[in-house]
Amino acid sequence: MGQYQSPCLVLCMNTLITVLFLIFAALILTSAIMTVTVKNIVHAALWLISSFFGVGALYLLMEAEFLGVAQVLIYVGAVSILILFAIMLTRDLEGSQNRQLTPRWWIALIVPAALFGLLIVPTVMTHAWQLPPPPPAGQPPAISGAQQIGTAFMREYFLPFQVAAILLTVAMIGAIVIAFEERERRRRVLTLVEQVRLRQRQQQRQQPAPRPEPAATAVQTSEATGGET
Amino acid sequence: MTDILRSWIGGALPDWLIVLIAYLLVTTIVLFYAVGNFIMMVWAERRVVARMQDRLGPNRVGPAGLLQPIADAVKMFTKEDIVPRNADRWVHLLAPIVALAPVAMMLAVIPWGRGWEPVDLNVALLYMVAVSAVSGVGLMMAGWGSNNKFALLGAMRAVAQLVSYEIPAVTALLTVVILAGGMSLLELPYMQAGVPIMGATILCGDPAGCSPLLYSTITSFPGSPNEPVQALDLGLGWWVFTPVGFLGFLVFFIAALAEGERTPFDIPEADSEIVAGYMTEYSGMKFATFYIAQYILNFALSALAATAFLGGWQGPGVAALANMGGPWVHVAAALSAFYLLAKIWILFFVMIWLRGAFPRLRVDQLMDFAWKLLLPLALVNIVSASLMVGLTQWTSAQWGGLISLDGFAPWQRQLIAVLVTAIINIAAAYWILAINQRPKQVEWDEEELIAAS
Repeated sequence: MGQYQSPCLVLCMNTLITVLFLIFAALILTSAIMTVTVKNIVHAALWLISSFFGVGALYLLMEAEFLGVAQVLIYVGAVSILILFAIMLTRDLEGSQNRQLTPRWWIALIVPAALFGLLIVPTVMTHAWQLPPPPPAGQPPAISGAQQIGTAFMREYFLPFQVAAILLTVAMIGAIVIAFEERERRRRVLTLVEQVRLRQRQQQRQQPAPRPEPAATAVQTSEATGGET
Repeated sequence: MTDILRSWIGGALPDWLIVLIAYLLVTTIVLFYAVGNFIMMVWAERRVVARMQDRLGPNRVGPAGLLQPIADAVKMFTKEDIVPRNADRWVHLLAPIVALAPVAMMLAVIPWGRGWEPVDLNVALLYMVAVSAVSGVGLMMAGWGSNNKFALLGAMRAVAQLVSYEIPAVTALLTVVILAGGMSLLELPYMQAGVPIMGATILCGDPAGCSPLLYSTITSFPGSPNEPVQALDLGLGWWVFTPVGFLGFLVFFIAALAEGERTPFDIPEADSEIVAGYMTEYSGMKFATFYIAQYILNFALSALAATAFLGGWQGPGVAALANMGGPWVHVAAALSAFYLLAKIWILFFVMIWLRGAFPRLRVDQLMDFAWKLLLPLALVNIVSASLMVGLTQWTSAQWGGLISLDGFAPWQRQLIAVLVTAIINIAAAYWILAINQRPKQVEWDEEELIAAS
């Protein structure tokens, strides 16, 4: 930024950050509400993606670049694409018959509210509110997010990290076991050449040759070629 | 850019406005640069493929057909915009935008020349990967929103291919992260100074006797921070010349071909099978937007491959010019920008060449290629990259006393590392190729099939 710094720079930046925060917060909330209210399930998934994007932008606003980029990579790039895939492979695409409120909606309201309260109440109670926030004391220490997170995973949080890794591996193996048919049951899709050869062999079988000996040799040669490929 | 503007109109405007204008200007320049290249790429691709297929290609509009892309653009603008009656209007409209925007965002972090980087992000490599993954959402929206079975099939193919080839690409880029000790793209070209294979390890013995034309001060090292040294610098210490970088480059470039849907991997828009894939129901400017997105993606991926493995803007003469100081620094910057552009265009030419040479892969071949060949190679390469960093940078205390290389000169350590990684990589490549080429067992029994059918 050079040596010259106008007084507006810090102040304007703060206002700008507040305005951006409000915009992103509005985006996240709108998208989240739309996700649960729209009828069309594909639209719901797309609104969910935009909500994920907003969260990534909030991370960037907090200068947690690694977290922000990882949010986009994992949630937008992988999870939501998986959701879209799953939706497109299911039958009732429009979901017009599905009711959005079940008779037990009050349980669904109470449980998340209680869980959310369990998380937020201690935080709010124990947090020392300083309004307006005090000016930052000096330069904050340089943060290189990726390295700190990596070190933390390999040192302090080594056990949770390993447990999570094992869980993911187990889930992956489980998915393969479920999706993979048994080898002997699996019907291989034949290529065109194989289909033609198969049909030739069937025709040979169906018309028994008047003289048995040439027919037998023909079968043997075709078997030999089949073995080579 | 900000500083230049500030010196010009510093008094007249408030500072935040100058910063904003500077950002807008840089954005405009980068986007124009990319779109200009896109126009040239379309022309070059048509001409080169025509040449390879013994045709003429577009040669009527302008000299050698150079104005053909402009004629095409005018045609695209004036075409009728058709939306199928049963299409999902909003999704159909937004899809090309969602496909193009992330691709354009990729251009923001590439160092286009010495000191010419729009944004210095310390997670730039991860950012490139993450943002390019977002365009998959756009393709999915196009496929679903068109309400057309070919479009949906094409989108499914495109996204499946994108997701599975992302893994070898990211694993290959991980070797760069290990070698560089960070994810910033800005640092990468500086680290690839020096001479081929040896890198910046041939040091100057006598500080007074070394010409600044041949030797330059290297401050940033791959791996760990060292004190600055005077090293022989021809601007050719590209990582592609080391075994680790070479294998990484091969894997990344092939995966980039698949991500950019270039020909051996163009099943998402295989026109002989599914019309044009997810673009089937698009016409006019919306189709052109997809087209631009695809070429700019190829451009950005070539730029990333060039920066990560081919030294970026690094080349002979850049460091020497920069060392002369004064106005020569700007000449060095221009020369470096030219080097990067030349590398991008060479990579793009290889892409066209592959398009002229290879038929399209089948979908099972596509998956086999990614999972059975590229991914194992990339994984072995990570081990080699770690060894490379360990052998060239670590002290014996870091090795835990197992290996002590403290007494060796930097060039000796580099040579040892290159030899060890070369042996590992060649052996692994030979082994993995041998496994893949082993004839398959016949999994199906002819007799049984006849009985079943």
